[in-house]
Amino acid sequence: MADKPTLAFFSLACCEGCQLQVLACEEKLLPILEKADIVRFREASDGDADHYDVTFVEGSIVTAHDLERIKEIRAKTDTLVALGACATIAGVNAVKNFQDPDDVAAYVYGDKKEWFPHIAARPLKAEVPVDVEIHGCPINSDEFLEVVTCLLMGKPYRQPNYPVCVDCKLAGNVCLWNKGIPCLGVVTRAGCAPLMCPSAGHKCIGCRGLVDNPNTQAAKDVMAEFGLTVDDVLREFRLFQGIYDEVAKEA
Amino acid sequence: MLPQVLKTSDLGAWVEALMAESRVAAPVLKETNVSDPTDLKFGWQYVPDPADVRLDYTVTVLGPKKFLWPPRQKLVRYNLGAGAEPEAIIDHEPHVLLGVHPCDITAIATLDAAFAKDVPDPHYLARRSDTAIIGLDCGAPCDESSFCLDMGSLYPESGFDVMLTPLGDAYFVEVATQLGEALVEAAVVRPATKQDMEAHQAFAEEKRSDFHYKLPYELKYLPEILDASYDSLVWEAIARQCFSCGSCNIACPTCYCFDVYDEVEVDLSKGCRVRRYDSCQLDPFAEVAGGENFRQERASRLRHRMFRKGKYILEQTGRVGCVGCGRCERACVAGISIKDTYVQIAGSR
Ligand code: SF4
Ligand code: SF4
Ligand code: SF4
Ligand code: SF4
Ligand code: SF4
Repeated sequence: MADKPTLAFFSLACCEGCQLQVLACEEKLLPILEKADIVRFREASDGDADHYDVTFVEGSIVTAHDLERIKEIRAKTDTLVALGACATIAGVNAVKNFQDPDDVAAYVYGDKKEWFPHIAARPLKAEVPVDVEIHGCPINSDEFLEVVTCLLMGKPYRQPNYPVCVDCKLAGNVCLWNKGIPCLGVVTRAGCAPLMCPSAGHKCIGCRGLVDNPNTQAAKDVMAEFGLTVDDVLREFRLFQGIYDEVAKEA
Repeated sequence: MLPQVLKTSDLGAWVEALMAESRVAAPVLKETNVSDPTDLKFGWQYVPDPADVRLDYTVTVLGPKKFLWPPRQKLVRYNLGAGAEPEAIIDHEPHVLLGVHPCDITAIATLDAAFAKDVPDPHYLARRSDTAIIGLDCGAPCDESSFCLDMGSLYPESGFDVMLTPLGDAYFVEVATQLGEALVEAAVVRPATKQDMEAHQAFAEEKRSDFHYKLPYELKYLPEILDASYDSLVWEAIARQCFSCGSCNIACPTCYCFDVYDEVEVDLSKGCRVRRYDSCQLDPFAEVAGGENFRQERASRLRHRMFRKGKYILEQTGRVGCVGCGRCERACVAGISIKDTYVQIAGSR
């Protein structure tokens, strides 16, 4: 890295909410600006360069054009960070993968659908090597700051590899399953604390993807005990593609 | 000090007096099940208002352990770069834990032993030395998941400063330590009469008849029964349902494993070394430098927890690692029960 590392932000198909989460760090971003040059940030500034030390990319790959862009970005980048669920696990974009591609195009673009060719939604890692993943829909600003701190110190970022239940229990929550609400926290990668959904009474819908080595068999068994069918289970897992993929493999 | 009697209507005034001197934590009502209004969920909290104290509570997700050892605790602060000047963070202030059930009194004694052995843990021990424990006896089992009688935690002889026994509209107040005597001085109490003593004895008799053994063997055989079960197929079978989610450990009042990590300010000027509750059920728990994981299999992790609770902690601290509070079973989405597991392995040889 040069004296001052260069950082860039790019967006593929997404709502750009993860970049907003970055901006929401507000004054905590200032020390980063002292230590690094942000050379491209669509939501906050303009500019370009031909090499980036660290690139944050939000959004999924949904068109052939996205595919080209991510390859170009990768070629210019030392450390590629996938920012948010769309980039790490294809996020809600992947819902379209379970529908007819023509119907989907017609639904969005009507009779102009031929003008907008699209491909199945996929996360960055499906096409290029990704160095760091920041999960979540949207990302947790604290985790973003932690990743940047690690990058600035040159130490690896260890993403949480335990389920949401750990943080949920640490908060002393009564488990939603005890109230008959199926919660995906048992197989979903943690990192959203302290704002995890069960603390607000909402079930986890798995936006951070699966932990490594999840017991999806147990998930199916337990859901069955609660009177849910395989279809119900798949629907629970389907909102965020990464989770559906894993479950579908074993279903 | 001879036993005293505190009217339930005078409890609030006592709590208020205690709150003037210390931070007071007690069980309070957290939520009511909308579909079943008799299903109340309690939790340990710093008392906001003396009227919120619920000594009629049954069970809580987390025990009072969290006041002696916070789930996330800063250990050391330091500067980055030249002159790190590390400084230990040992924060403690007087605490009163009000309404601690027998299982949790026993669990705290186990934590005391665990944190005092080998290299004594100054962070825990400082908070512990500043904490008074007001126990609350159980006259009947809190629920189906508990098996405190089996695990020898239902009749603690020490580990508390004061013990309260609920006798209808009053508490029978027994003082066990000098600190306890000072606490009771802040309450409006009267010496127990002959009738009060009889009522207390009647409570004890009813308690003895209301609790039943749930394991088919005595606690002293548990370590050997576990040994004999080591290669049993039972671990594989139970682990099929286990998510490795860690809820059982996080909820357990005797678990004392933690993970240590650094939190560095984003301007890279200073940082803190922090610890957080860890769980032996999590996939990366037994991962060591170089990536080797010596308990990669779910079943071996599950077995490890059952052995820790029934054998290893006993060998290390002289106190059995499970107090039979049932929290792990209640917290488990898959319904995995340590009690049922200990029943199941009874026939192993
Ligand atoms: S509510 Fe969800 S995240 Fe919390 S303990 Fe239950 S399953 Fe886990
Ligand atoms: S609790 Fe689940 S759905 Fe909610 S933010 Fe966390 S990972 Fe996402
Ligand atoms: S709470 Fe249950 S599912 Fe989770 S790790 Fe413990 S035994 Fe396994
Ligand atoms: S192992 Fe389970 S029953 Fe035993 S003390 Fe821990 S939480 Fe309570
Ligand atoms: S486990 Fe036993 S001692 Fe603990 S609360 Fe229940 S009945 Fe009381």
